Amino acid sequence: MQKKRLKRKSRIWSLVTTVPELTILILLIVGGYLIMAVFSRVEGTPVLSATSIWLIIVGSFLISTAIAILAVIGGIGGGVIFTPIMLGFTTLDSLVIRATGLVVAMFSGLISTGPFMRSKLANIRVVIYCGFPITVGAILGSVCAIRLHNALGVVGDGIVRLSLGLLMIIIAYFLFTGGGKTEYPEPKKIDALSAKLRLSGSYWEESLGKVVNYHLVRALPGGIMFIFLGFIAGFFGLGGGAFLTGTLNLVMMAPVKVAAACSGVLLAISNATAIWTYITYGALIAIFAAPWMLGQVVGGILGAHLLINIRAGFVRKVLIAILLVSCFKLVLKGIEEIFGINIPII
Amino acid sequence: MKDESMKAPLAGIIYGEIVYWGLLAACVVVVIGSVLAFLGKNYVPVSYWISSIWQGKSVAEIWKGAVGALPNGHWYLSHLNTGDGLTALGISLGVFPVIPGLLLCGAELIKEREIFYGLLAIGCGLVVIIGLLGLVPAS
Repeated sequence: MQKKRLKRKSRIWSLVTTVPELTILILLIVGGYLIMAVFSRVEGTPVLSATSIWLIIVGSFLISTAIAILAVIGGIGGGVIFTPIMLGFTTLDSLVIRATGLVVAMFSGLISTGPFMRSKLANIRVVIYCGFPITVGAILGSVCAIRLHNALGVVGDGIVRLSLGLLMIIIAYFLFTGGGKTEYPEPKKIDALSAKLRLSGSYWEESLGKVVNYHLVRALPGGIMFIFLGFIAGFFGLGGGAFLTGTLNLVMMAPVKVAAACSGVLLAISNATAIWTYITYGALIAIFAAPWMLGQVVGGILGAHLLINIRAGFVRKVLIAILLVSCFKLVLKGIEEIFGINIPII
Repeated sequence: MKDESMKAPLAGIIYGEIVYWGLLAACVVVVIGSVLAFLGKNYVPVSYWISSIWQGKSVAEIWKGAVGALPNGHWYLSHLNTGDGLTALGISLGVFPVIPGLLLCGAELIKEREIFYGLLAIGCGLVVIIGLLGLVPAS
């Protein structure tokens, strides 16, 4: 017991010394929230008291940190948790949710970009090759989201909720089954385009104690799929990391670890493209989104460094259960909004 | 055994480090902005922002009630002396490093004679710039 406590203590201490910038950031955030509590000049409204407003900000930060940690352990993007729950269970405007969802999806991916690149798990050629179509898709998706919202109003939101609910069922299936992923796929034949693009690389696999060499295939269909995946990210305000990893692993035959690292970097690039459309339109309300951003950064670093020993399988199952409940609620709410009816469940 | 060939390519390191440190710097701006928003001058009062979102008002209604119309652009650039303006700048700064990251990564790839990937990285950066400038009209 004492050994365990000592081990945990030393792990926390090693985090403080190896990532001092995280410690500084956490101290800054905690200090900031305390100052906000003590010296606040925010006035209450008929809807919310001044204390409630502070609690919403701090609560958002804590929930965002928890989502980021859970997402890292479960191996999925935070946006996949945030956006469906908020769209399914709250009455907040769907554009505000999707813009904030992009913040949640993007910042934990952005913060892990540096470590992924340093470890050579993310292949720069693969990232750049898939990055171009995904950014094009993302910008189109975000523009379509706002246009649909403006053109169809509540019915448009209903369509978004219903289609996102159906999409989440596929994501939940992917997460549950692993999508038939193979750790080290071995392509039988390398097509001419993939060979010409040299979509290959190698990395040191600690568990095998050797270098793993790989070569990606199906560059053309893979590239086309990334336009579609970018569109989904921009339109729904979520990363869809499960789809990105699946495409890289199952279609383009990248090893799982390489696929996961590349998808983290790509997710950040696509969302960073899409979010500008929401920012310039005014859908990203900074005061509301700020604690979600800070939580993702802190939780993303914490999750990656501290929580390697937690049972990922259990967390994954909990996340899948949450996703399925969200799917159900999203589909119901979508039908209600499209047809203007009331389904009295939950 | 791990050897020199296992070293990560410089172009990837350049992109990764710019994004990592840029984002951390942006977080500091966001914290300062949020604190100022609670303590002092704002473009739009914090209580209005949060209450309107809480009530489920649409983006257009929120902005109409606040300043009369949707901002359609980077409104915070002309309100950097306000708490909410600084917070919005901080979030944008967190996203922004992707652009110099991609452009410099592209330049390094071209220097390493990876012309195709270099140009593609720069193209990627340009697409993000198109988003930043709002060149594809959303409304």
